[in-house]
Amino acid sequence: MPMIQRRQVIPGDVVAKGNYRFGSYIERHGDEYVALRVGIAEILRDEIKLSPLTGPYLPRTDDEVIGKVVDVNGFGWVVDINSCFDGFLPASFVFGRDFSPATHDLSSKFKVGDIIGTRIESFERSRDPQLSIRGQGYGKIESGEIVKISPTKVPRIIGRRGAMINLINERTGCDIKVGQNGVVVVDGSPEGIVKAVKAIRLVEEETRAPDLISKVEEALGGSAVGGI
Amino acid sequence: MSMMKNYVVETIRKAQMVQLLANGKRLDERALDQPRELKIETGVIPKANGSARVTLGNTEVIAGVKIATGIPFPDTPDKGILMVNAEILPMSSPYAEAGPPSEDAIELARVTDRGIRESEMVDMGKLSLIPGKTVIAVFVDCNVMNVDGNLFDATSYAVVSALRTAKMKKYVIKDDKVEATDELIPVPVETTPVSVTIARIGDRLVVDPNAEEEASMDMRITITTDDNGNICASQKGEASTITPEQVLQAADVSIKVGKAIRAQIIEATK
Amino acid sequence: MKKLWEGAQLAGSKRKLIDENGIRLDGRKWNELRPIKLQVGVMKNADGSAYIEWGKNKIMAAVYGPKEVHPKHQVLPDRALLRCRYHMAPFSVDERKNPAPSRREIEISKVIREALVPAVVVEDYPRTAIEVWVEVLQSDGGSRVAGITAASLALADAGINMRDLVVGCSCGLIGEQVVSDLDDTEDKEGNGDMPVAIMPNLGQVGLLQVDGVYTRENFQKAFELAIEKGKEIYLMQREALTRRFFGGEAQTTEVEEGAE
Repeated sequence: MPMIQRRQVIPGDVVAKGNYRFGSYIERHGDEYVALRVGIAEILRDEIKLSPLTGPYLPRTDDEVIGKVVDVNGFGWVVDINSCFDGFLPASFVFGRDFSPATHDLSSKFKVGDIIGTRIESFERSRDPQLSIRGQGYGKIESGEIVKISPTKVPRIIGRRGAMINLINERTGCDIKVGQNGVVVVDGSPEGIVKAVKAIRLVEEETRAPDLISKVEEALGGSAVGGI
Repeated sequence: MSMMKNYVVETIRKAQMVQLLANGKRLDERALDQPRELKIETGVIPKANGSARVTLGNTEVIAGVKIATGIPFPDTPDKGILMVNAEILPMSSPYAEAGPPSEDAIELARVTDRGIRESEMVDMGKLSLIPGKTVIAVFVDCNVMNVDGNLFDATSYAVVSALRTAKMKKYVIKDDKVEATDELIPVPVETTPVSVTIARIGDRLVVDPNAEEEASMDMRITITTDDNGNICASQKGEASTITPEQVLQAADVSIKVGKAIRAQIIEATK
Repeated sequence: MKKLWEGAQLAGSKRKLIDENGIRLDGRKWNELRPIKLQVGVMKNADGSAYIEWGKNKIMAAVYGPKEVHPKHQVLPDRALLRCRYHMAPFSVDERKNPAPSRREIEISKVIREALVPAVVVEDYPRTAIEVWVEVLQSDGGSRVAGITAASLALADAGINMRDLVVGCSCGLIGEQVVSDLDDTEDKEGNGDMPVAIMPNLGQVGLLQVDGVYTRENFQKAFELAIEKGKEIYLMQREALTRRFFGGEAQTTEVEEGAE
């Protein structure tokens, strides 16, 4: 197996010199590849990647995000998606093509303060991201506890092929919705919610721990609750 | 407070809050009349005559006292000058803005000032040097560093703690002229006013509201009491009314809660 | 602003800022720094923050953003708008300062912004605002370079894309002697002050202000000393960021591909 070099970097660090393919958070200056974020750089044979440890959520098309309605106007809902850009959910996406501001009451569907699961339909840098709730599992979230985590830690909460989130779900009986934007909603029994939130906080704090999943398993205790 | 007007409490969070309150509980597990943890650190700005950093939960305020000589106001020629000022720093919250002091910052400064002034915390007569000509001027400036609700009480505790630990030069009068000596003396403090802010959410009154409770309240009232448990200043806020019964209820709560907080402030500023 | 003759007189007649052995009033040699303490991630609400104590300076820097631009007409279509405010608390100086921003604070806000912008990849955040708030809680000489040093850490803490950190140091003159890192007294009674901010990896200078009268030789010496000292402070910045995010020394490890 080829070796990967893993380096802890801060902005301005030269991750590698030479000729590599490179992803986000890296800038090329001549033959030097410079880190733009605090994070873990992985140097493979012909490729460099950087996983940042901190940073804001920037919308990408098809991301599933959890947002909060912060304004309603005649044509749709303005949704805080924990980003520098507010999302916009057009009323026509919800009421269909015959939508008319005169006949449809937008507030009957979503009110200011409502939490909705949504997908980013489109986003170009020149306009605010457009949201959609078409498809299964999207729409208003009626209950649960809201937990905000750093968007850079979302992959750790989900785990390899969903291992982490499945573990927390099995051991607490809670339904856990994770938005790519770092907003998580945990729903279940009151005791289950307390346990699940603690587990999520643990993952967030111990992101760098080598055997994170066993640590979480230990913290959650042996038996599954409410999972029958 | 209305500076948090951009802050929307999630519907499911507010529903939880209201349901808990009906059973006498709060989201952060406090009792209705229980303030958040109060921490007081004094002497944090050595260049100031007195200073304090106060955290009330996640609300953080730094107060600094500056003392100089000045000319008395014409209507109080034999009294010193005391000014309390507060700034809500733009770094304190995503909703705060740079620029001239907002309505909220001015209300905050004036309500805090009123509690200190009306309680006669500082003996202004003792700050007079040459009546009509020279008096001691005490400026207390507050920097709100981080906002998580109830700026009124956190700011008031910071001002009181800074004043209680402030040292000023002893002035002597020689040939009708004021001279500063090297001797340092405390500011003449007579009582320890304590402000207690109560918010109404639904029909419940809660002490020391945090940011999400403030965003859910329709009315708040701040009541300041002195060492003897007398009420010396108050301010009702937000665009809603309060019943006479609730005013009296709030007064009783603020006397009781104020007593415990006063003991803590005195301990921290010995 | 000090004039040369004024400074020379002060250095000669009033009190000596540096003795015959080259030791300064606070015991430092000509090229030594005051003690510096840095802490990253100290504020609850801010997206990024850093606190610096440098000599008697106590400064908090906080960053919000990227966020929407208000008012809308200030939007830049192709990059982020970096807003910066350097502000002194009324109790930060010997005589109480009026809380309203002075001309000095407005100018310093501008030069701090112009030192930080080249390090920030502003093209990555079009149509947004990034806000940098620098609050001087207690002031000593060199507060603008201390502010820049803290602000760049706050930006890195917020996870804003940056091609380098920015670090500042001020050097100057006492009489004809070049000295590093002037404190308040040396700044007021000395003969010149030269704040410099650099991007240490890219070898670029983002801030340069000079007052005083320098020979060509002393100009170069003070400028190069500021860069050298800046690089020393950069190591402290690294240490502070590493402590915050990696809990200790930064590490390089090798693992097999596919292993987790």
